[in-house]
Amino acid sequence: MGELLKGLPLYWAKIIATLLYLLLALWVITRPSHFIFRGSRERKRWKDLRLWALVLIGIQIILYLIF
Amino acid sequence: MREALAQHIDLFLIIIYLLAIFLFGVLFRQYIKNTEDYFLAGRALPWWVIGMSIIGTNIGAYDYVGAAGGAYRFGIAQANYEWLGAIPAMVVSALIIIPYYWKNKVYTVPEYLGRRYKEGVRVIEAVIYGVFLVMLLGIFFWASGIMLHTYIGWSIGFSIVITAVVVGFYTISGGLAAVAITDVVQLGIMFVGGFAVAGVGFVKAGGVLKFFQALKASHPQHLKVFLPLDNPAYPWLGMILGLGLVLSPAWWCANQSIIQRTLGAKTEWDARAGMLFAAFPKTLIPILVVLPGFFALMFAPAGAIKNPDQALPWVVKNFLPPGIGGLVFVAFIAALHSSVDSTLNSAATLWTKDIYQRYIKKNASDEHYLLVGRLLTFAFIVFGVLFAPFTEKFPGIYVAMQTLLSFFQGPTLATLLLGVLWWRATGWGGLIGLSSGVALAVALSLFKVNFLYVAWWSFVFSLLTNAIVSHLTPPEPPEKLRGLVYGYLERDREFARAVERRING
Repeated sequence: MGELLKGLPLYWAKIIATLLYLLLALWVITRPSHFIFRGSRERKRWKDLRLWALVLIGIQIILYLIF
Repeated sequence: MREALAQHIDLFLIIIYLLAIFLFGVLFRQYIKNTEDYFLAGRALPWWVIGMSIIGTNIGAYDYVGAAGGAYRFGIAQANYEWLGAIPAMVVSALIIIPYYWKNKVYTVPEYLGRRYKEGVRVIEAVIYGVFLVMLLGIFFWASGIMLHTYIGWSIGFSIVITAVVVGFYTISGGLAAVAITDVVQLGIMFVGGFAVAGVGFVKAGGVLKFFQALKASHPQHLKVFLPLDNPAYPWLGMILGLGLVLSPAWWCANQSIIQRTLGAKTEWDARAGMLFAAFPKTLIPILVVLPGFFALMFAPAGAIKNPDQALPWVVKNFLPPGIGGLVFVAFIAALHSSVDSTLNSAATLWTKDIYQRYIKKNASDEHYLLVGRLLTFAFIVFGVLFAPFTEKFPGIYVAMQTLLSFFQGPTLATLLLGVLWWRATGWGGLIGLSSGVALAVALSLFKVNFLYVAWWSFVFSLLTNAIVSHLTPPEPPEKLRGLVYGYLERDREFARAVERRING
């Protein structure tokens, strides 16, 4: 298996990392609202932790595409 | 004349900084009335303090020096420790793990594992992390002594004592609240220092674009985030499997000194938001730790840097104008202090709550445990100061301790994940999975397997062992699992009947 992987071009590492980030983003999107806002007195847009997580994941995907 | 002026500015900055954080201790002392105030800041921390404190705790002076050295040698692949090796795990920690700690009102990670599995798991985890944190203090104190000696000229012994007195004072008197607030200030100083270095470097290079064009032309491999499989330090597969999927989640989901801030949150939302907010400055940490390595690579004359770990000290000493050098030096000290205070507070919490209160003196008054927490913090400071000089005699001791920690990270994560996500995991499954995973990690290390792969395989083995043993042992009773396992309420028939009765009036 090691030999097989050694033959893979390096851009496969980027593809795998990007896929992992996309999977994580998909999982974040499917979190229910009542869970995301639990403990918060108000349901304001900026308090939606799914958005925080998606911005973070988006930045990561951009960084891994650049480098 | 210029050197004397620079030295005076440095000294002035460090004295102002030391006085300021000393005052924090005095200020916060009045708010400490019980153990919850001392260990968990009275469960009153807002999300932004938690987030900044987490990153202040996470970045130590060793990370500065080591990461700049890594960037000097291998390039931007070093940033994987701040990106792939942190951000996904922080998202998972915030959205899955932290709510379970917070809802159960635990003080420590081992306390949660003990409730979910059995006491043996709690003891193993508490002793491992308790000993690790206390030993780490000696290394931090020694690093502080070396830094103050190198830049200010104080003797190493005097420098260690000054650090111990200042950090010890505000940690003992103000507890987690003082630690968290000073972490916020310290993180601010670290970023100001880091951006100052970046600014000076880019101006010298004639602009950001020019700098990166020159770096790409002279060292093209240094701008590649993934390195080939035969790279001795950062093979891409090891980075994804070992760092991204095991070491990083173990650090962000199970490390007491990181998690403790979220346990002190005022609401569950603040606890989760704090961890997510921490991920934003974490994304920027490469500016602080990777760029100095690049500057050393591009500007240092040939032969000036013999060891990659000299990259950052070279930048501070030879590259920065007076004042900026002092600022960066204060940023180092701040980074070191923010790690020392958090380590002290977390070590005292673990030993007081998981060992002393559980096995040495049960059912004493809260004042008694508060006193014990403070006495233990003082004892760990004394131990750290006395242990510090020995770290010089064993220069590999920090590396050895990191290797030691890698023995436990994979099995700890496997135990935690199955405990939170799978209702069928049993006490015996957790205990045998954890101990056999640690045994495999030790065996693999003896065969000189790269620590990233040690973490991965010990995680997989621990996961499988836990699952098999759990299947062979009777399930845990529902009343034990309630509130401890993800999605368990839907499976809990008794709870479902109670909800139905309430709906039907």
